[in-house]
Amino acid sequence: MSEIKYWKSLEELNETPEYKDKASKEFQEEIPGLDMFESASEGSGTDRRDFLKVMGFSVSAAALAASCKTPVKKAVPYVFNGNEQIPEVVPGVADFYATTYYDGSSFVNLVAKVREGRPIKLEGNTDAPFTKGGTSARSQASILSLYDATRLKCPVKGNKAISWNQADKEITSKLAEINAAGGKIAILTGSLGSVVTKKAIEKLKVKYSNAVHVAYDAVSQYAIRKANTISLGTGIIPSYQFDKANVIVGFNCDFLGTWLNPVEFAKQYATNRVPSKENPTMSRHHQFQSAMTITGASADYRYPIKPSEEKLALIALYNAVAAKVGGSVISGAKAFANKAAIDKVAGELAANKGRSLVVSGTNNVENQLLVNAINGLLGNYGITITGRSLNVKEGNDDALATLVADIKSGAVQGLILLGANPVYNTPYADVFKSAIGKLKLSVSLNDRSDETGSLAQYVCPDNHYLETWDLLEPKSGYYCFVQPTINPIFDTRAASETLTKWAGEQTTAYDLVKAESAAMGSWENNLQLGFVDNSSAAGVSCNVGASIAGVNASAGAASGTEVVFYEKVAIGDGTFANNPLLQEMPDPISKTTWDNYVCVPYSWAKEKDMKLWLREAPIAKVSFNGKSVELPVMISFGLPKDTVAIAVGYGRTKAGKAGDNVGKNVYDLLKPGQFSADNVKIELTGKGYKLGMNQQYHTLQEDNNLPSRPRRYRNSIIKEANLKQYQAKHNAGNEDREEIKEHLLTLYGYHPYQSHHWALSVDMNSCIGCGACVIACNVENNVPVVGKERVYKGQEMHWMRIDRYFSGDPDNPDVSFQPMMCQHCNNAPCENVCPVNATNHSSEGLNQMAYNRCIGTRYCANNCPFKVRRFNWLDYQGNDSFGKWTDATAAEYMYEDLTRMVLNPDVTVRTRGVIEKCSMCVQRIQEGKLTAKKENRTLRDGDIKTACQTSCPTNAIIFGDINDGNSAVHKAFFEEERNYHLFEELHFLTNVGYKVKVRNKDEEPALYFTPVMKEEDIKGIVK
Amino acid sequence: MVSCFSGYKKMKAFIAVLFICISCAVYSYTPSTGDIKPDDPRLMEGMKLFKANCGACHKVDAKLVGPALANVWERWESEEKLIAWIKNSSAVIASGDPYANKIFNEYGKSVMTAFPSLTNEQILSIIDYTRAKTADPNFGNPPGTGSTTPQGATAKPNNSLWYIVAGFLLVLALGLIAVTRKLDDLVKEKEGEPIDNRPLLQKIFTRRVKSALILLAILAFGANIMKGAIGLGRSQGYKPEQPIKFSHALHAGQNKIDCQYCHSGAEKSRHAVIPSVNVCMNCHKYVSQGPKYGKKEIAKIYKYSGWDPTTGTFANQPKPIEWVKVHNLPDHVYFNHSQHVKVGGIECQTCHGNIQEMEEVQQFAPLSMGWCINCHRQTEVKFSENKYYSIFDKYHDDIKSGKKDKVTVEDIGGAECQKCHY
Repeated sequence: MSEIKYWKSLEELNETPEYKDKASKEFQEEIPGLDMFESASEGSGTDRRDFLKVMGFSVSAAALAASCKTPVKKAVPYVFNGNEQIPEVVPGVADFYATTYYDGSSFVNLVAKVREGRPIKLEGNTDAPFTKGGTSARSQASILSLYDATRLKCPVKGNKAISWNQADKEITSKLAEINAAGGKIAILTGSLGSVVTKKAIEKLKVKYSNAVHVAYDAVSQYAIRKANTISLGTGIIPSYQFDKANVIVGFNCDFLGTWLNPVEFAKQYATNRVPSKENPTMSRHHQFQSAMTITGASADYRYPIKPSEEKLALIALYNAVAAKVGGSVISGAKAFANKAAIDKVAGELAANKGRSLVVSGTNNVENQLLVNAINGLLGNYGITITGRSLNVKEGNDDALATLVADIKSGAVQGLILLGANPVYNTPYADVFKSAIGKLKLSVSLNDRSDETGSLAQYVCPDNHYLETWDLLEPKSGYYCFVQPTINPIFDTRAASETLTKWAGEQTTAYDLVKAESAAMGSWENNLQLGFVDNSSAAGVSCNVGASIAGVNASAGAASGTEVVFYEKVAIGDGTFANNPLLQEMPDPISKTTWDNYVCVPYSWAKEKDMKLWLREAPIAKVSFNGKSVELPVMISFGLPKDTVAIAVGYGRTKAGKAGDNVGKNVYDLLKPGQFSADNVKIELTGKGYKLGMNQQYHTLQEDNNLPSRPRRYRNSIIKEANLKQYQAKHNAGNEDREEIKEHLLTLYGYHPYQSHHWALSVDMNSCIGCGACVIACNVENNVPVVGKERVYKGQEMHWMRIDRYFSGDPDNPDVSFQPMMCQHCNNAPCENVCPVNATNHSSEGLNQMAYNRCIGTRYCANNCPFKVRRFNWLDYQGNDSFGKWTDATAAEYMYEDLTRMVLNPDVTVRTRGVIEKCSMCVQRIQEGKLTAKKENRTLRDGDIKTACQTSCPTNAIIFGDINDGNSAVHKAFFEEERNYHLFEELHFLTNVGYKVKVRNKDEEPALYFTPVMKEEDIKGIVK
Repeated sequence: MVSCFSGYKKMKAFIAVLFICISCAVYSYTPSTGDIKPDDPRLMEGMKLFKANCGACHKVDAKLVGPALANVWERWESEEKLIAWIKNSSAVIASGDPYANKIFNEYGKSVMTAFPSLTNEQILSIIDYTRAKTADPNFGNPPGTGSTTPQGATAKPNNSLWYIVAGFLLVLALGLIAVTRKLDDLVKEKEGEPIDNRPLLQKIFTRRVKSALILLAILAFGANIMKGAIGLGRSQGYKPEQPIKFSHALHAGQNKIDCQYCHSGAEKSRHAVIPSVNVCMNCHKYVSQGPKYGKKEIAKIYKYSGWDPTTGTFANQPKPIEWVKVHNLPDHVYFNHSQHVKVGGIECQTCHGNIQEMEEVQQFAPLSMGWCINCHRQTEVKFSENKYYSIFDKYHDDIKSGKKDKVTVEDIGGAECQKCHY
């Protein structure tokens, strides 16, 4: 019988001996810390004398510590000015404030959880009409940026601290001086989104007649606006409705990860991606792409194309669609190689007129015009594309080019930067670097002295968004409030206030927001809700003729190997590079942390016969556009032949401790506005590089050594089927489950669950691998950041990871994401082996971990089939009373006094030497139960939600009580035939269920099911 | 002779029994506790409301911040006026009521807190309580004590008498041993058997006894070390000096201010909450002199709160009082006051001792894990009262069928690790 082979890494695909060796181990490296003894007697390890020395030290240290006096602790209550109204705050009870995250390329409506005056966690705002409670990894991690000690503490001039008064006075007089002399003042910003800041800039432009405002995006989507000017007559980015499309076609468009507003799109997308008994349908998703992204991974069909082929593919698709639905044909283009794909996609699109959507993420006007033309032909405008403008990516590449020319010519004499860092993230880095010192005035309003700000005369730091007032308009007519959740930590000031002051108006950000929202109804209600939506979808229509008129079919040929630049889900364009949570979040596809690299196709690796254990990646010199960069090589499945991909957003030099010198910067190698290049040369340098990957270890293995069992590859880990199979039989792909259940035997008794029985259900069809849950889990549970070195050694501490499996053709594989956390087995292998009963089972089904009882034998981790137990090799959080016997770098990234303010006070900070793991957010369970008890009522389904569940933009995770017959998780476990449990045949009785992945493919997945155990096999085992 | 021998044996048995009696007598002593007698529910309701809402400023028999409430119903021209006053005194003053204005001016024009949320019925029950209290000043106090002795809190027993009895019995036993030995010798002498002439002590401390004693000493030493090690970081009886000599005996005991007037988080939060100095100022705007330290300690509050008593305004910047924390739990323990106070209905004194009698607060309980667990094993949950527990079908059945007579915290998982450690 044929089988599907699933693999996680190249080594596993090739089953190298080294892989097999590593996969069978829980820990990758020998015990760290012991190397300090190694030198004692020529590598023979610890000898008796060393042991006695260490022991003597420990005993005397313990004795010393014990003889110390117990420290006196102070209890300092709040104090309020008696003349003012005293606010009602109860220490120990969290307050929640609605606010909004906006980073120029996406927005997320949030609710900030504030404990004792400090925000500690962000949750999605479930009332919000677009993001609907979903969050992204970046918005989840933004809470830590608030406590970033690299932020400027006050305004600076040169390197010296100055007062706001002095800064205001000097800067306004210089502005007036430049303006009077006829010099240009440029206000260079990122995408602002803020209504009040934009107003402030307008005021500044009125006050100083020579001021101009230029916005740009590091990763630009200006081509969409430009193309829409031609096609739609208005230069907006429209709203997309992925939920209304039966067929979605993406061209290099990572709309689930990084393109425009991924949280909104993911919410829409997921609504049509989960077949159910009542509605056994799915949308069809085709993806043409160069770099592998999570959007491509979720697609039903992927077509690897070189960047230069996108236009050919679009022309071919346009022509094929035009042939089917009627329309003028574009001629003169080279034929696109994969004609079968185009015919299939065109056929499906034509069959779903008005119920389809074609999108492209390439910053190329012609490509965008073609996309508009196809959508126009299909009548998608007004249905899947509406005229309500999405106010992200507001940058204008042309205006930036003009500004650069003006700077070069000396016309610009004053430069104000806000959310802009052109020395780092534009191809004009050299121009800015040399010109900025010669300007009469240069001011940065960024929160830190970054690559550009450090060259400017003044830096007048803006607030973090969690400590400021702001009013955003991320969609036309959709106003979102940003309200402070903490007093400004440093002496910083809202940019809107700063700019308004420079325009000669004394005001505060609060007044600006209040004035702006005066006509929007009740201020209190609006703040409580966090947004005002007083507009509905606007009509839009596309001029197909004008669109294709702008396409020059024959132009734009590329040659040689091509490179495409992409954003990683976590790091994005690099603005938040100093956020260690984001740096340590494994990239969903490459599973690599703390680095960028050059992704090369599998075919290239085969040609070069590369050494396959990539933990020592070779370094290659990549040359293009007349420049070159040295990067480690990452072999990527699914890349087209002769195409490589490099992530932007790395190589910061003035971001801060965590972000500096991580990876290489490639922005300065780009051509303006162009995120691909041809004629790329790749030469291996012969040097090696250690990449901090986490998918090489934590390998779930089925025991293939049992003689009675057929050789299978993870078929009890990942189960999949196609939609037709599902429609025919709801347990498609899961047929073996009935048989497994029949044969379940146990020597242990079952736990009686009198009250609750907590469980998680994970839908692999909804999961898009975006990683929001991973970051949410880290923040909620005080999971430490350990740094690249430790990740490399396989010692990262994440309680939750998203396993990414490939299957099928290595050149164009299928991808399955599987969120993996403690499975809370009812027959837990870890519980039986703990010598001190530090991990045991609760009466509510939780596999409990008592840190203070743990003595660190790590038997449990060794015995865990899911490899979800994490050992604190070092004092990662820097809380050891004996000083820092720690990996200095790891503690430095995150655990300074200021950053510790982000810690959740309801969760213990673990010490060195203990095991930790997912607790199913037991602190939330306890809180939920307590609330119910206080309100004298039973617990309701949905009262308790885990951090991973609330963060998920696609509702892939459901938590609840399976003893409650009406709970969603009960239904998922007992009424949904897609539900299965990992290694179910081994009878761990996990409390986490997964749902079979259903792909909307026409081809059936290879028949992979083989009967798991025959009667005699079981007899053999039980005997 | 046989009879004499058997008599000797009987004597030995008697001595052993005597020892057991002594030990039992010393260790089985447990004092009894006083209890509040349940009374008319309406008066109890009134008492509860009085303590929660009025007690901070009023006493029945004496002036506090506000006037004494004895005979208050007689001072007002009608009950309706009085109720209106309690609900919103400013309105009554504004209406020009002469008595209202008189009392307002008499008490330094300080406005009484409005209680719009109290129903007329509730206010009447408070008035009834003050009536009962006026008639019988000991009303609501447990019989005999004159003050509330809470459940679980134990008065220290007077043990010295028992030790004297034990000592006397011990001497008696030793004397009896000597007498029996003597009698034994006499018998032996008479029968012509060799007599052991060693001194008594040598006779008792044989080799075997000596080794047993040494073993005992080692065990005792080890046990002591263990006890010391376990006691590390525990500080039962900890009684630090506080920045202000605040007396719980005065506030909670004598003035009967409800605990939650100041520790307002106890029913809402994991923290009982140490009140901000603003809470102190609610009363101390008017009370500037204490019975023990006069103006000295209260002046400190004024300094912290920024209050200027000469002008009667908050003139200066307030700053927080840095109290020394008495009850410290390790960081890896999650304790929630509201769970215990609101859900469990546990009295504050169960864990904090007779706080209303403490001049200076000290740590009453060991706050050890054993202490916690022990209580969880013994304490019953409000199983039938709280609807949350309705999901425990098996226990409900067991109670119905008589298999179980109570459900303890441990029964519902209260002794599991991740109920307090996470």
